[in-house]
Amino acid sequence: MDPIIIRGRGVISGIASGPAMVCRETIQGWSGIDEATGMVIEKGHPAEGQTICGVVLVLSGGKGSNGWSSHFHAARLRGISPCALVLPKIDSRTGVAAVVCGVPTVVDLENDPFKVIENGDQVTVDGTSGIVTICKVSGSGQGVF
Amino acid sequence: MYFSEEEKRVLGGESGPLKQKTLDFIVKYANVLGAERLCKVSKAHLFCGAHHYLEAVRSKDMDEIMSEMWFCSSEKIPFDAVGCFSQSDCSPVDHLNWSKMGCRGDEFRKNERYLDRCLKAGVHLVGSCVPYMTGFIPLFGEHYVTTESHAVLMMNSLWGACANADGIEAAFCSAVCTRTPLWGMHLPESRKGTHLFDVTCKPETVEEWDLLGYSIGLKLPPHSIPILTGNVERADMLRLKSCFASLATTSGPELCHIIGATPEASSLQACLSPSGLKDQIEIGPRQLNEAREILCDQEAGEVDYVSLGCPHYSIDQISAVAGFLNGCKVKAGVTLHVWTALPIKAVADRCGYTKTIEDAGGVLMVGSCPLVSEKWPAGTRAMAFDSAKQAHYIKPLTKTKVFFGNWEECLQASISGTWGRWSTWIQL
Repeated sequence: MDPIIIRGRGVISGIASGPAMVCRETIQGWSGIDEATGMVIEKGHPAEGQTICGVVLVLSGGKGSNGWSSHFHAARLRGISPCALVLPKIDSRTGVAAVVCGVPTVVDLENDPFKVIENGDQVTVDGTSGIVTICKVSGSGQGVF
Repeated sequence: MYFSEEEKRVLGGESGPLKQKTLDFIVKYANVLGAERLCKVSKAHLFCGAHHYLEAVRSKDMDEIMSEMWFCSSEKIPFDAVGCFSQSDCSPVDHLNWSKMGCRGDEFRKNERYLDRCLKAGVHLVGSCVPYMTGFIPLFGEHYVTTESHAVLMMNSLWGACANADGIEAAFCSAVCTRTPLWGMHLPESRKGTHLFDVTCKPETVEEWDLLGYSIGLKLPPHSIPILTGNVERADMLRLKSCFASLATTSGPELCHIIGATPEASSLQACLSPSGLKDQIEIGPRQLNEAREILCDQEAGEVDYVSLGCPHYSIDQISAVAGFLNGCKVKAGVTLHVWTALPIKAVADRCGYTKTIEDAGGVLMVGSCPLVSEKWPAGTRAMAFDSAKQAHYIKPLTKTKVFFGNWEECLQASISGTWGRWSTWIQL
């Protein structure tokens, strides 16, 4: 299957690839992510128990504490971070987190990534050109969180 | 991006490394948002203190830790001055009753060192999540920053002031360089409502408004601005303080219009997005009861920790607690904490409310809360809160039972040591 390409606005430069973790549901700040392990700990969140470490995190937005970015910041200093961020529509919480994480980031995408990217897809994020490349691999296609 | 001559000079280093570094961070943040220019902030409300998340920095050097976590700089740059009126948010320690919240002496002293540095940089050590009750009142159209999520909702919604929920690093950087991206809530065209919430229940008590905010947040999609209509005529600052705290827990709006009550919502047309409503949602008694089921363990049982005051209590709320407890005794083995801001406690001391609460066996605490401090008495088996925000966030952090109810139920639990029938269902 040919790779699928989605274009957006590249805001943190660099290129990174990894398996997608696709969260249509926002993740809260306090009690949202365990800074020591990267696990989602928000009660009842569809991705509860999954880790953000090493994934291309496709996330709809932030909610809860204004300190949202600080949890990603503290995790990054412990070596826990997504390898890239895809933020379909930017907001202030995720905007600060993108700067703090410093990983390749594409925002404000032309097409809805939740209709295209599924958990486990191999995704390459080019934060300079704003191009997100999705490869469907065997065993992926596991929906979204 | 457009830069003023002054901003160019700061970016060029003419105003020193701290201003340069902080403005550089704000410019990167503005680029991520897609902002075309910056605006000047006049007030900053900052999460000062030796908070737990700072421990992620592998250093004992306070300046290195502040540089990394507050200014996102791996290079050590001492925090020597803010550039605008600044107040501190909650810290992890009550500087008066730190031992009663379970803090060790070294934790207290470490927190004091951080706060002392903030004070020397020009931050007023108010230590509260309710800056709007302690002199931090931005006016209509005024640009400010805050690290407290419900405070954004309060000051944007009730006074038409302008801030985004952009958090700790951006707030500290803005406080120093006095700039923030001209984007989002700073632009009038971005402040229009998208979702209409028809309140068909009749919330009256603070608890019911707390549950209303929680319920709205559960149904509000990301990047949305709610408009409240229906039975919202009982809205006032105390009710909205709790409503917005829980709304900013289960969702992320930075503004909430209330038709007929908030300044940008004289009518639905006045606050409605030009693209129209994206959805219309009813909130009735069922939604409030469902929210309470989520927040409160439903098996009755013993309680050994009761915490009131999130957001920090007003003097009226403290007066009501004193009135309730007058002549009563908190059960032996139960800890009762009532949280407020230091200036409000000074008034409570003057009015005798503090003594009444203490005579009953409770403690009027300042400057923190269980969520921020992650402290509660050792050996606690069950806690009770009158705040949806506290109950929601603390549940995942503990294996103890967590009860949620109104302030009177919580005080009754502190006297009896038990959480009984968890109040009647809301029939409104």
